[in-house]
Order: sequence, then structure tokens, then C-alpha cells
Amino acid sequence: MAEATWEKPAAPAVKTGSGRLKFLIGGLLILAAVTYLIISGTGAGARYFMTVDELVKNPDYVGKTVRISGAVIGDTIQYDARNLIINFTIANIPTEYENLAEELHAAATDPSRTQLQVRVENQVKPDLLQHEAQAILTGTLQPDGTFQATELLLKCPTRFEEADPGKVITNPEA
Amino acid sequence: MLAEIGFVSTFLAFVASIYAIIAAVYGGRQHSERLVASARNAALLTFPLLLVATGALVIALIRGEYQMSYVWSVSDPNTQLFYRITALWGSQKGSILFWCFLMSLFAVGALVLNWRTHRRLMPYVIAYTMATLAFFLGLVVFYENPFERWWIVGEEAVEAALIPAGAVAPSMQRLAETANGLNPLLRHFGMIIHPPMLYLGFVAFTIPFAFAMAALASGDLSTNWIKATRRWSLVAWLFLALGLLLGGRWAYDVLGWGGYWGWDPVENAAFLPWLIGTAFLHSVMIQEKRGMLKVWNMFLIIGTFSAVIFGTFATRSGLIDSVHSFARSEIGFPMFFFWAAITVISVGLILWRWNRGELKDEHPFVNILSRESLFVLNNVVFVLLFVAIFWGSFGAPVISELFMGEDITLGQDYFLRVTPPLFVALYILMGVAPLSAWGATSLRRLGKALLVPLALTALFLVIIVVTQHTSDPGALFGYGIVSLAGFVALYETYRGASARRRSIGESWPRAVLALFTRNRRRYGGYIVHLGITIIGIGVIGSTLFQQTTQRTLAVGESVDFGGYTLRYDNFTNAIADDGRQMQIADVTLIRNGQVLTTMRPRHDIYPTQPMTIAASYSTLENDFYVLLVGWEETNANSATFKMYINPLINLVWWGGLILILGTLIGAWPTETLPVTLREPAAVNGRARAKA
Repeated sequence: MAEATWEKPAAPAVKTGSGRLKFLIGGLLILAAVTYLIISGTGAGARYFMTVDELVKNPDYVGKTVRISGAVIGDTIQYDARNLIINFTIANIPTEYENLAEELHAAATDPSRTQLQVRVENQVKPDLLQHEAQAILTGTLQPDGTFQATELLLKCPTRFEEADPGKVITNPEA
Repeated sequence: MLAEIGFVSTFLAFVASIYAIIAAVYGGRQHSERLVASARNAALLTFPLLLVATGALVIALIRGEYQMSYVWSVSDPNTQLFYRITALWGSQKGSILFWCFLMSLFAVGALVLNWRTHRRLMPYVIAYTMATLAFFLGLVVFYENPFERWWIVGEEAVEAALIPAGAVAPSMQRLAETANGLNPLLRHFGMIIHPPMLYLGFVAFTIPFAFAMAALASGDLSTNWIKATRRWSLVAWLFLALGLLLGGRWAYDVLGWGGYWGWDPVENAAFLPWLIGTAFLHSVMIQEKRGMLKVWNMFLIIGTFSAVIFGTFATRSGLIDSVHSFARSEIGFPMFFFWAAITVISVGLILWRWNRGELKDEHPFVNILSRESLFVLNNVVFVLLFVAIFWGSFGAPVISELFMGEDITLGQDYFLRVTPPLFVALYILMGVAPLSAWGATSLRRLGKALLVPLALTALFLVIIVVTQHTSDPGALFGYGIVSLAGFVALYETYRGASARRRSIGESWPRAVLALFTRNRRRYGGYIVHLGITIIGIGVIGSTLFQQTTQRTLAVGESVDFGGYTLRYDNFTNAIADDGRQMQIADVTLIRNGQVLTTMRPRHDIYPTQPMTIAASYSTLENDFYVLLVGWEETNANSATFKMYINPLINLVWWGGLILILGTLIGAWPTETLPVTLREPAAVNGRARAKA
């Protein structure tokens, strides 16, 4: 450890012009390369997040990779375990809401909300795919009006944050 | 009673930490030994107080005090003792208290160990550690109190720390009946250890950060702060690495998608401090040896701490949609405020000292092939990787929402495109930098030193081609770059030992042992490099060559996949001790006509949710990973299985073990001198006079 503990007296820094330039050019090259990587990666990986409403009402989005979120309607879930095909319908939820659990409940039970049929292939049915779960989907809207999802993420807020967890204590029927 | 004891102790700890900050800063500025000592005592007091508070919560969890709403929300009468204890960090409120407890433990450790040797830094170390502790204790006291209880006021059940007017306690029986139980996803070995490991990593990084800020505040800008915190940084780094590995293992075992890393924002949030912390560990060596990069090191430790706090904030505030961000909680705003305040104050301190010319480097950079230059390059790549991952996880989504009115997220494609070139650069540097010398290295010397490791790499690639039947140029390039770094580490160790053998005439084992004893940091570091190499090989293999298929099998039927045969034997329904229903498929795995094992992939049904539990058969070569994904409801005469072959995946976990070993070697205490004789320069005149 001896070499690690000695202290050098402060010496004024010597500037070597050409050395600095070399480091500067090298640094700029690296920076340029990584900036290019990040920009091109952003272009390739970007997914526009939108509501079911926005997607369905705008025909420009057909065939483009987008990310949407909606409330899963439990009765519509069909799972073909043999061929790993999942079909279900989601209902529109707005981007801003007070309480996710309540919003999902409202969306899944209100037939006037915009609905969208979703098809996921080659995926095992996720454990969380159930009534009133929030589905976050990446994929493309097909010309026939169904949504072909390549990625399916689910959130079930009821389990993590009950809207009113104490209800069950006072209400034996709940 | 437990709730009151816990809450009062937490509150007292909060008061003590606030007092410690004020007394330490004032005492430090006034040079008042008495005040600083008093601040220290207050800081030390937080530990027993938090021990009592945390203990009260643990006892309440063990005894099933369901009137406490935290206990009610994370356990139920069926919960086993082990999970009752670990439920301490099963949800946010308990986690934050546990965080505070660890923070206090580490702060006390740092104060006790460094009180005499680094007296000049102490007032500010107290101030910074206690400010962090006070902030999190404030969250416990004012926002996320785990000591609240259920009360019935009229018709409503409310959670409150103090008894509301006209409240009656709900019946114990009703509470026990309705209690939630621990989230089933969290009932796994990896998930039990993963959060404390991450917390330990996060908390431990507060110590080097506090010392760095103390150096800036006190004006002791020598390498004292680095020497005092070297082991803390290594320990923090190790815990963070362990937390990441265990999180990956948990995802692999429990989430059932055959992978261990999904570039999810929350995973990334834990990875970011590790990246910048790794850069810090490397670059402080340059300051110790050459007196360079003083400002840069300060920025790196601020960056690490800032990333720790930001990561905690991002995952807790609902800033980013992720499978992990369970709760949009109220603590988002205070956390953001704390993060911003700490960052602004720290950067302000640096700029102030810099402006006064107190952070000048003692040597200029001259040669691009010197070890210091390569270390700087390594730092640059780590920071760029940090920036790229930060941008992908947080930057792009937040900026697009704030300024473009659009909500853009970046998926896996982004990370798989941007990060590999940077990882390649890191592995190349890991291979080359250990061979270079301080000051300058000639290209010829470097080339000569690389000769043997390059030859070994070529040999390794030939073995890969022959045994794995791989000719994929990308994969071979990856294996080559990664293994070169490992061979350099091994070869350097060999060279060191053989030099000792020649000059001193020691035997091989003695020479290796002496090498590791004499220069733990260097050779421990090589072992860590070796671990990272092995992890890298595992990542390449399991990412590029994963195979997957699914098949529906009748009872007695088999399927051939990836050199294995899987036979479906039987289907059973069972009920576990904790009340969950299990549907289990019995399958037999066969290879070359030999039965390897029987496996039981299953489907658990908890009252709240179902869970698919994978079964896997592990060998060095690969994992056979199988999920039960469907069956005939009536008699399960046929069932559907999803199968994965994950080549070399076990190297990821084994590399992790080697990494732990290397870090422990590097961090193991070497000094046997009594504290008072160590580093006399660190003890300032006044403290020495007093002693």
C-alpha cells in the first residue's frame, strides 16, 4: 500500500499544446459517435404512447408501431394455449386520471367507451391478464381494425394500491 | 403499544438527526470541539433509536398485530415466520424505515471508524449523512408511517398514527380475516435478499459522498476522503452488484419469460448508480497515484449519489410506467426536491473550490496510451453508457412529454442498439488498461504484453467453434473481446506470481498468495474483471443463442428440443400450506436415452392472482427452462409447455460469485497499525494536541 499513500506536492500543470489537441479530437470523435448512436437508436426504438381513442380515430397510425394502454375487459379474454394466441378487448382510458383502479373499473364496465380488439401471438398468457387490469401494449393497428401486439405489459393496481383498502374491515360483505 | 414505541423512537431519531446537522455545521464553522462532539453523539443516538423502531415493527409483524395497517397489508395469519420478518421491506412504508435503519448503521460505522483519523472532515460528514437520514426519516414521520393503525370512525375505517376523535378499534378477528398477505410475486429467495442488497448499496454510497462533500466544505482537499472511503465505495459497489444479480435471478425464476434483464426503467434505475459508481472506483485510483482528476472524481461521486436518490425517486413516484412502479405515491415531490437540493448544493461546492483554484491537477495528461489516459477513457465510456441508458429510460419519455406534448418511450430496440458498442469498448479497455503503465506506454510494449492473452483468446474461440458449433461472426467477436479481458487478468496474475518465483524463489501457491496479500486492490480487481468476463460470456450466449418452442403433449407423449427429450408424465392438483392451489405437471427430462431429472413446472393460484412457476434443469452448457402454460380443464390429459434453452446462462450467476470474491479480496482490511498511528497527516493540529 506504500505507493498508494504518498502525497505529491502540488505542481503547476504543464500545458502541452499538441497533447491537448489529440485528447480534444479523440474526445469529440467519441462524443460524435455516441451521439449518433443515441439519435439513431432513439429513432429505431421510439414508440409513441397514445390512448385507444387517439389511435382508433386517426387512420394515419395504421401500420405504425405505437404504444397504447387500456382497461382489459375480462369476458373477452380468449387464450389458445396450444398455439399461444391471446385475444382480448381493451377499453379506452384517458392519460390523466385520479385513481387508476377506479378509472380501470369505470372503463371496463362502460360500454360507451372506445374499445379495441387485441391479438397477441407467441406469448404465454400472462398471470396478470385479468378483468380490469391495465394493459400496456406495443404493436401496430391492422387495416382490419384489430391491434397486433408484440409486447404486453400488465398492471393490476388493485393489488398494489387498494382504492379504499379499509372497506373490507368495516363491511363484512365486501 | 408497539406502534407507539416505534413511532416515538422514529420521531426522536428524526429530531436527533436534525440537531446533529445544525450542531455539526455550526460547530464546524466555529471550530467548536464541544458542539461537533455533541453532534456526533446525536448522530450515534439515531442508531439505537432506529433499532428500537425497526425492532418494534418486526415484532409487530411476527406477532401479527393486524391493527397496525402495515402489518395488515403485508402479512396474514397464514404467512410463515420467515416471510413475516422479511415483510419489513415487503412494501414501501416498511422499506423506507428499513432504509433509515441501514443509513443510521452505516453513518455510525463511518463516524466511529474515522472519528480520530479524519477529524477535520467529521463535522461535514455528520451533516451530510444526517441530512440524508433526516430526509428519509421525515418521509417516515410525515408521509409513509408504518406505525399507523386501523381505527373505525363512524362507518369508515381510517389509518392514523394518533387516535382520531370518537374512534374505536376494529375487532382483531375481523382484521386477521381481511389481512392481505405478502405479494406472492415477492415470495422468492432472490426477492427477499434483492431489496436489502440494493438498499445497502444505495446507503453505503452515501458515505463516500458525504466524505467528498466534507472535503469540499472543510477545505481538506487531499486524498484523505478517498482513502477513508475506499472500502465503503467497494462495499457499496458490491452490494449494488449483488442486488442487480439477485434481481435478475428473481426475474428469471419467478416472472417466467425465460430472461433476466428487460431494460425496464426500474432495472435501469438500479443499474445507473452502479455504472457511474464503477467509473468512480476506477478514477479515484488516478487521484491517489497521480493527483489528477480531482474535479472529475467529485462529479462522479455526486453523480453516483444523485443517481441513487433519483433512482429511488423515479421508481417511487410513478414518473415512469413500469412493471415495478407499484404505487404512485405522495413522496414523489419531496424526493424530487431533496434530489435537486442535494445536487445543486454539491455542484455549487465544487464550483466554489474550483474557482478558488484548490482542485488543480498535479500532472497533465501527456500520453494517450498511459494508464491514466486509458482509465479516463474507461470513465468516459462508463459515463456515456450512463447517459445513453438514462436518456432511454427517463430522458426521452420525460422530455417528449414536457416539451413535445407527445408521450414517447424507448423500447428494448433502443438499448440493444445503443449499449452493445459501449460495452464492447469497456471490455476492450478492461483488456488493455491493466497492461499499460502510469505516465506512458509505448505501443510496442503494449502489443508485446497482449501477445499471450491474444493467443489464449484465439484458442478459446477455436474451442467455442468446435464445441458450440457457432460460426456467427458477431458472437465470436463478442466472445473474443470479452474473453481477452479475462485472459489479461489471469495472465497478469501469472506474470506477477512467476516474477516472485524467480526473484524470491517462492512456490506457486505461496507466490500467488503473497501477490494477493501484498496488493489486494490490484489482484482483487483482476478477479473482479474475471467475474465480469464470465458474466459477459453468459450474457452473450444466453442472449444470442436462446431457443424457444411450445408444444401440447398428451400424457406419456414426448417432445425433442435442443438435444433434450421432455416427457409429460402426470398432472396433480395440490393445496400448499399457505392455502394456495397448485396445479403441477410432472415431466421427465431425458438426454441420449438417459433420464436426467424429473421436473415440476406449475401454476399457483393465490387468492389475488395466479403465478406461473418455471422449472429448470441447469448445466454449465445451458438451462432447460420449462413453463406449464395450459392444460385441459377436465382431466389434464394434455398440457401445453413452453420451453427455452438458455445457453451459458449459469455463467452469469457464477461470474457474479467470482465478482463477489474479487471485491472482498480488494476490500479486505490490510492495515494492522493502531488507528492513532495511521495517516498522521489526516489528524489536524488541534485534534492531535487534544489527543
